[in-house]
Amino acid sequence: MNPFKPVRFSPRQAFRVWQREVSVYRHVYRSTIISNLMDPLVYLLALGFGLGAYVTRIEGLSYIQFIAPGLIASSIMTAASFETTINTFVRINFDKVYEAMMATPVTVEDIVVGELFWATTRSTIYATVMLAVVAALGLVHSWFAIFVPLMGVLGGLMFAVIGLTYTSFLKSIYHVNYFFTLFVTPLFLFSGVFYPLDPLPQIVKDIAFFSPLYHLVSVVRPLVLGNVGMPVLFDLAWILVFLAIFTVVPVNLLRSKLVK
Amino acid sequence: MVEARGLQKRFDGVEAVRGISFTVPKGECFGFLGPNGAGKTTTMRIIGCVSPSTAGSFHVFGLDPSRFLREIKGRIGVVPQESNLDEALPVEENLTVYARFFNVPSQLANQRAEELLSFMELTEKRNAKVGDLSGGMKRRLLISRALMSDPELLILDEPTTGLDPQARHHVWDKLFELKGRGVTQIITTHYMDEAQQLCDRLVIMDRGLIMEEGRPNELVEKHIGREVLEMRLPEKLISEIPKDDPLIRGFDTYKDLLILFSNEADVLLDKFQAMGIKTDYATVRRSTLEDVFLKLTGRRLTE
Repeated sequence: MNPFKPVRFSPRQAFRVWQREVSVYRHVYRSTIISNLMDPLVYLLALGFGLGAYVTRIEGLSYIQFIAPGLIASSIMTAASFETTINTFVRINFDKVYEAMMATPVTVEDIVVGELFWATTRSTIYATVMLAVVAALGLVHSWFAIFVPLMGVLGGLMFAVIGLTYTSFLKSIYHVNYFFTLFVTPLFLFSGVFYPLDPLPQIVKDIAFFSPLYHLVSVVRPLVLGNVGMPVLFDLAWILVFLAIFTVVPVNLLRSKLVK
Repeated sequence: MVEARGLQKRFDGVEAVRGISFTVPKGECFGFLGPNGAGKTTTMRIIGCVSPSTAGSFHVFGLDPSRFLREIKGRIGVVPQESNLDEALPVEENLTVYARFFNVPSQLANQRAEELLSFMELTEKRNAKVGDLSGGMKRRLLISRALMSDPELLILDEPTTGLDPQARHHVWDKLFELKGRGVTQIITTHYMDEAQQLCDRLVIMDRGLIMEEGRPNELVEKHIGREVLEMRLPEKLISEIPKDDPLIRGFDTYKDLLILFSNEADVLLDKFQAMGIKTDYATVRRSTLEDVFLKLTGRRLTE
């Protein structure tokens, strides 16, 4: 259909797109990093110390110890989701950033790849900072935790792919809310961040199998606690298969949106 | 530099460009004139290789955009009609970050940004937010940005629309200077004085087609002549005025306005006055490109 199709992407040009985001971030990180991390930190402290005073043990752990790794995982999801929905929508429709890029030797493919990796970068930054905070609270028990930033990359990319896919269908900025109320928040609450899924009915556990956050939590928690076993490999494989199948989707959707 | 034959563009069932042919040689300033909806911006997007044409043959620098997209875009600078400056970055970084998309080495980019900010008289604003710039400054910054890659071809879509007279003249001045440096320019405009000043050659477009092509003065000479006599008369009188006088080269009417094209409009006016034709308003003026434009594209509003 599109005669420009055979161009595909160039790693160097995608890097240029990523660099633009880094340049912008250098101006805003001081004001955004605190507000973005406040969310998981408030949950950690309020629920960890508040609810934790009543919940004695979960799987042999104190409550704050149980939720801390889960909140690292959920911060990965939130960072990539915000970046690829609201921020990307603004870049397409209000700031016309992509329009300007497309007059240069940058193609839609470069833009999508650059943006995916930028969202991933942001997730990785947040995962790393959250890990440092959790470690400072004495809640990290294993050197396996050094792989948590790597999960920021894989998990961040996974949620970036989902977010960009949603944004490519988005007609109005107000519809961004649906993504958060119908997707991000339910995942946050039903993916084993705050409690193990074991006591829930089988049907909920079956649904959780399709939750990307559930698998991310299932990898991050053992890395922080040190009980890394075979199940971790299964959840890791789930994430890799997801990426292998879906990463090309937003490229194709955004191409038809941006090239007219 | 740019060669188009039978170029067409159709989207969502609308034929925005319906088969146009033109050639822009190196070093020329080439204009696209036309009312809104004529297909100018669509044509600019095709030339800038942002939007693929749906039919016809089209080459920039002798290259086919479907195969050499990146290479062509790397040699073109684009100034869009509406600002798409990066609001998230301050003025100077708008230039340096943009240069990276062209893989301009950062030292060279910094040096060019410095030169262009001074060329466009924006040096004082280098750390300002884009949102705080006036319309004229934004336009100058957009032009500066397009020049960061030292392009061989500059595409300007309505470069002075919405600017005050001072800012317009400033932009013209800079475009003249660029032409002096040998930068090929393609501009769209609906300011006839702008086209007459800047363009070596131009085409007039209407409804997706090219109506006429030529040098501005030659077009005026061909279609109008040296002068124009405008008279306001009661509508029924307009039809009674003899229009076969050898001094009249052509005419146009719009409601109570009669416009006569002539090489000697003064003599013509005297003649009418001697005939006893009374009018509230009669004026003789030099003919302009606007007369050609209105003659070819009509006086009715297109939208």
